[in-house]
Amino acid sequence: MSIVADPLVPSGPEAEATTRARRSRAGEGGRRWLPAVYLTAPMLVLIVLFLIPMLILFLISIGLGIANQDNVWTFDHYTELFHDPLYWHVAKTTVIIATSAMVAQLVVGVPLAYVMAFKAGKWELPMVLGLVVLDGLNPVVRIYAWRILLGRNGIINGSLEWAGIIDKPIDALLFNNFAVIVVLSTSWITYTVIPIYASMKAIDANLFQAAADLGAGWWTIMRRILLPLSAPGIFVAILLVYIPLFTDFATPTMVGGTSGYMLGQAVQDLILTRGDLAGGAALSFVLLIASGVVAAVAYRLSRISRLES
Amino acid sequence: MSHRLRLGDALALALVAVVLVVLIGPIALLTAFSFNDSTIISLPFEGFTLDWYKMALEDQGVRDSLRYSVIVAAIVAPSCVVLGTAAAWGITRFRFRGRGFWAGLLGAVLVVPWLVIGVSGLVFFVYLDVELSLKTIILMHIAVTFPLVTALVSARLVRFERSQEEAAIDLGASQWQLMTRIVLPQLTPALAASLIFAFAWSFNNFEISFFNGGYEETFPVWVFSDLRRSYNLPIVNAIATLVSAVQVLAVYGLYLLIKWLGKRRGSGDELTSLVAGGRV
Repeated sequence: MSIVADPLVPSGPEAEATTRARRSRAGEGGRRWLPAVYLTAPMLVLIVLFLIPMLILFLISIGLGIANQDNVWTFDHYTELFHDPLYWHVAKTTVIIATSAMVAQLVVGVPLAYVMAFKAGKWELPMVLGLVVLDGLNPVVRIYAWRILLGRNGIINGSLEWAGIIDKPIDALLFNNFAVIVVLSTSWITYTVIPIYASMKAIDANLFQAAADLGAGWWTIMRRILLPLSAPGIFVAILLVYIPLFTDFATPTMVGGTSGYMLGQAVQDLILTRGDLAGGAALSFVLLIASGVVAAVAYRLSRISRLES
Repeated sequence: MSHRLRLGDALALALVAVVLVVLIGPIALLTAFSFNDSTIISLPFEGFTLDWYKMALEDQGVRDSLRYSVIVAAIVAPSCVVLGTAAAWGITRFRFRGRGFWAGLLGAVLVVPWLVIGVSGLVFFVYLDVELSLKTIILMHIAVTFPLVTALVSARLVRFERSQEEAAIDLGASQWQLMTRIVLPQLTPALAASLIFAFAWSFNNFEISFFNGGYEETFPVWVFSDLRRSYNLPIVNAIATLVSAVQVLAVYGLYLLIKWLGKRRGSGDELTSLVAGGRV
């Protein structure tokens, strides 16, 4: 996953410069086949390994393709999902966990980005670098580390038992929704903080002084200046983080309990445990559409807030 | 005012401290207990040992998974740098029919969850009757990773000083000369970062490897599966520490390399500015 702020969309004066240069150079006078030299290979990869698999995923979810001699298409796999109260329950749990983790990250991430951008001084670069290094660590190893810390035979339980504070391990530390929310939040915090931090770096710090001179209080400055101006970064963070949060299955499998069963695990169980390729494909497709909606909303919001700011 | 400022500073410090503890604490403890001479991962410390490291490095499962992950990443990373850079150049420097569609498709790969891409890859290979193996992992890793390189490189390209490029074209440079003499040298820091990150993204990738892998377990899949074999947890601690240490050193080395390249070329490129889209 990238930590680039708003990757493919140049903004502000940069965008104008891009457009101008493109117009003056390659566009009009340029040789028309030239883009194909650069783009053929990457686009073939996207068509063969992204678009076609997605198409096949859809075909299988409507009952075509594998193990179907009749070639009759059906929405049964979708209606089954929607009529099964289990999936509604799992969807509810997933939304609650993912949203809590997103909110938790924003509650920590926005102040952290602010501290990095305006207060950290010589610690600013080490902090950014620290976040990048942290993200370079293996996510499964990071989840595993939490399990070692909080698990039934983990460091906390074992140490408390050794110290004679408890007689038997406390199970409540792990295998609950709270543990999943904490671990998910720590897994994705880099992608939350960096875009917000990048958008805050673009704010002229004199604005804060000017507002203070004009009598604005701390809360007014935050609400009327900092938040609106960093809103594009916040929406990019939501775009990058919220979607993976509600499709995650490694975290709930490793540190979650039975009550925190999430949609990602349901997909995995349908396909790998029950061998129900069509059902798994249907559920994946529902997740894909949900992601698309989240992405479109976050993207729109980030564009709108940029225009306003 | 000064009182309030001091309160604000204290809050900021507390926030940073809590974040540090929560983010680094578990990994630090994992590291500490990987040296503990006990099969039980808890206090008391029974003494310092390197036995777990020795056992981990001799363990066939560990060795195989690390070898598979390195092979996969070593093929995926350079492929992604080539594909990603070509796509970035094509998208940022040309206007052509369908440009918006292709840019959107590249962006779509970044927001579609890896779980869904993993499942789609699985049904794709099942449909084509292709046996799952390291090859299928490599193919899917390339597909999900090169758009990230495109994002990284195009963020750099849109901030380029264009005068050299334009001068080269006006003076009749061929595309090849333009690339090898002007563009790629200026892109070196971004390309170095892309190579290291693409390697890390592939090495760390769990979802895609999980759904598109065959019998060969890559390292993250091995750690995940090892939950069921909980008797050798100290070994997992040791190898997890070792891999994490290498990863920290790799990113820090990259940081120093880019700083050095920036100083030599006077461009002032920083790793931190590359990842934050140049606004840092």
